[in-house]
Amino acid sequence: MKGAAAAAALPLLSNQLPFYESLAHAATESDLVIAKGGSPTQLLQAAMTPLGGMSRFVKKGQRVVIKANIAWARTPEQACTNNPELTMALIKMCYEAGAKRVAIWDHTCDNYQFTFSRSGLKEAGQKAGADVFSGHGRNVYKQVEIPKAKKLKTAEILRDVLESDVFINFPIPKQHFATELTLGMKNLIGIVWDMEQLHKIDLHQCIADINTLRKPDLVVMDAFRILTTNGPKGPGKTEDPGEVIVSTDIVAVDAYGAAFFKNPKTGKPFKPEEIKFVKHAYDLGLGEIDLSKVRMKKVSAT
Amino acid sequence: MNRAVPYLRRTVQALSFCFLLYLIIQTAFPLELKIPVDLYLRLDPFIGIISLFTQKEIILRMLPALGVLLLVFIFGNFFCGWFCPMGTTIDFFDRILFREKKRPKPLDDRSLRRFRYGVFIFALITGLMAFQVMYLLDPISLITRTMVISFYPPAIYIYNHLLPQIQALLPRNPVILSSIPLPLFKVNLLIFLFFIIILALGVIRKRFWCRYLCPLGTLFSISSRFRIFRRSVTDECTHCQKCVRECPVGAIPEETPEQYRQEDCVSCFKCLECPPKAVSFGFASPQLKTVDGVTLSRRYVLGSFAFGLASSLVIKTNPLQSESGLKNNRLIRPPGSLPEEKFVSVCTGCGECLKVCPNNALQSTFLEAGLAGLYTPRLVPRIGYCEEFCNFCGRVCPTEAIRPVTIEEKRLLQIGVAHIDKTRCIAWDTDKICLVCNEQCSYQAIVGDDKKRPIIKEEKCTGCGICENKCPVDGESAIIVHSSGVQKKLKPEPNNNHQG
Repeated sequence: MKGAAAAAALPLLSNQLPFYESLAHAATESDLVIAKGGSPTQLLQAAMTPLGGMSRFVKKGQRVVIKANIAWARTPEQACTNNPELTMALIKMCYEAGAKRVAIWDHTCDNYQFTFSRSGLKEAGQKAGADVFSGHGRNVYKQVEIPKAKKLKTAEILRDVLESDVFINFPIPKQHFATELTLGMKNLIGIVWDMEQLHKIDLHQCIADINTLRKPDLVVMDAFRILTTNGPKGPGKTEDPGEVIVSTDIVAVDAYGAAFFKNPKTGKPFKPEEIKFVKHAYDLGLGEIDLSKVRMKKVSAT
Repeated sequence: MNRAVPYLRRTVQALSFCFLLYLIIQTAFPLELKIPVDLYLRLDPFIGIISLFTQKEIILRMLPALGVLLLVFIFGNFFCGWFCPMGTTIDFFDRILFREKKRPKPLDDRSLRRFRYGVFIFALITGLMAFQVMYLLDPISLITRTMVISFYPPAIYIYNHLLPQIQALLPRNPVILSSIPLPLFKVNLLIFLFFIIILALGVIRKRFWCRYLCPLGTLFSISSRFRIFRRSVTDECTHCQKCVRECPVGAIPEETPEQYRQEDCVSCFKCLECPPKAVSFGFASPQLKTVDGVTLSRRYVLGSFAFGLASSLVIKTNPLQSESGLKNNRLIRPPGSLPEEKFVSVCTGCGECLKVCPNNALQSTFLEAGLAGLYTPRLVPRIGYCEEFCNFCGRVCPTEAIRPVTIEEKRLLQIGVAHIDKTRCIAWDTDKICLVCNEQCSYQAIVGDDKKRPIIKEEKCTGCGICENKCPVDGESAIIVHSSGVQKKLKPEPNNNHQG
């Protein structure tokens, strides 16, 4: 709690960016950029520029791992999996920044062969030059301790996510019946071997606990089209916010993403605190939940 | 040229066996091979005839088998010696493991040779009685089943263990690929033992199985009686007995090697290696007469007939049989299956569907479906669930025991209904939020109530079993799929199964 409080207080004390250790980042204009209006490729380009460009995150010769959402055997139009065009743009951007290799991972819920082909993401990923991997074999996981966790003290995590140079979390926001919403942090459930077991422990706390393991170097939220009912598997109603949100602060991204959806109880957009795992993550000091304390920037892609 | 024939034959045999293996390996996602992956089964006239009897209608997929039978009718039995993958396996093991003993007296195997005609009559009768257990002896079904159930899982096991080494050879990927989830089949040991016993029979005589048991071989024997591509021997024959010894099926009698039993000959052409070059093959007018043939007495035929009839009736009235099917509500058949009684009589138990199932969900039965339903496929959701956009099992079934259904049809086919055990369910029993079943359900058949506890909408449930499969409760699932008896078509709902 102390750490979180300090993190929250820091922006008041200095003009420098609080969330990044390196001084180089001070050159950037904002912490959270929302790009709207344009094609997925344009949106990503527009969003990354104020954040310092991809070269801020990916250096020459580095290995990049992207955790995408390819969990379900659904088509791109159904908005249950990432937008293929945006996925391609993200991979290409990493390679342009000098990445040696880009790998896309997901531990799928439906059979990986069907999710990879129906979502169009294997084809898109490979076209852009990335390796698209599925975590269906236990051998690609590594048992690790999670020291900062409150409940999930140990878990088997995708080895490549832990060992890569750069880790990009690439979620798609969706309605989710059990946890209200699927946002950026929930996306990391897909790096765990025993996904279903987390429901037995305490799903919300586990989501926050897993996020303490490795802070993503970059979060790219794919809100080009979102699923608003029957989540997370759908098919359900979709909306087209046409936005791409980028940040390094996953809690801030989730806090922003929550407002895409209406809380059925209040009829108003979700407040970040109403999503328990976002609250838990904030309590663990993973990022800023109060968007008024985050330097947000909205840009237009066209 | 004659010297090259044995090598040619062995090469063709090896290629044929490898082709079968290739087809079995290709019996998997995405199933886009131009040739049918169950080609060998479709070319098998024994399966064709018996399924015609059991299904009582012509199965279009099995029509190529008629062509094979016709060819055998004209050219004689070329299949067993050149193409049969089971024959290849037996030949191979006979060659490396067994040496035929020299016998002081010629073995009189007439009673053994007669035996397979008895087996064949038995098979026809049981087939007419809509009872399919005779498929267990069909060599193509047997070898496919053995490969899939007994040898495919160990192959994957070895592959997974060698994966790090294989990956190390590839410079491109610094990561290790996911190992393939190990396919599991409960009856693998049984099928393996059966296979080993068949191979071990070679210790008595070479190709024991082919000569005395194989029902497909018997069918080919009967058809090749009138072959016009025949062996002939000139006067130069010195009675050296080389061809008698070499013949792998013992079709040449010792006393009169210039003659042969055309129905037993598998056209291996080993007898062409004749020291005085007296043997040749060519077209000649068919002959009904044969030497030293088996005599099927009326008593023998009627005996086999009666035995087949009685066995089918006994098995049909066995409690295992009557308790299977509708009364065993855990016996879930793959989507598109024929009604239970017909299903067990048409399914050949070849294992193609078990191989193609992407989630290892289809398992081979042992006695769950009664004696008549031995080695038929059933869905075991706790091992694997029925994938939403997959209709592979119907597409590879050679006898259409699982009808080929489109993805749209399949997604509206109810093969079972899920039930929640509220005393074990995490959400009902504790106040934790679970709802894995709701999250996983492809058909939105599981909804949550106001306390986020799962409730099943039976009118939407297809019984795919993904909920039972993913339920995080230890041991048996807290949500269990029961067979719906007869597979039912669900009403399409705009929000339910709309395609897109």
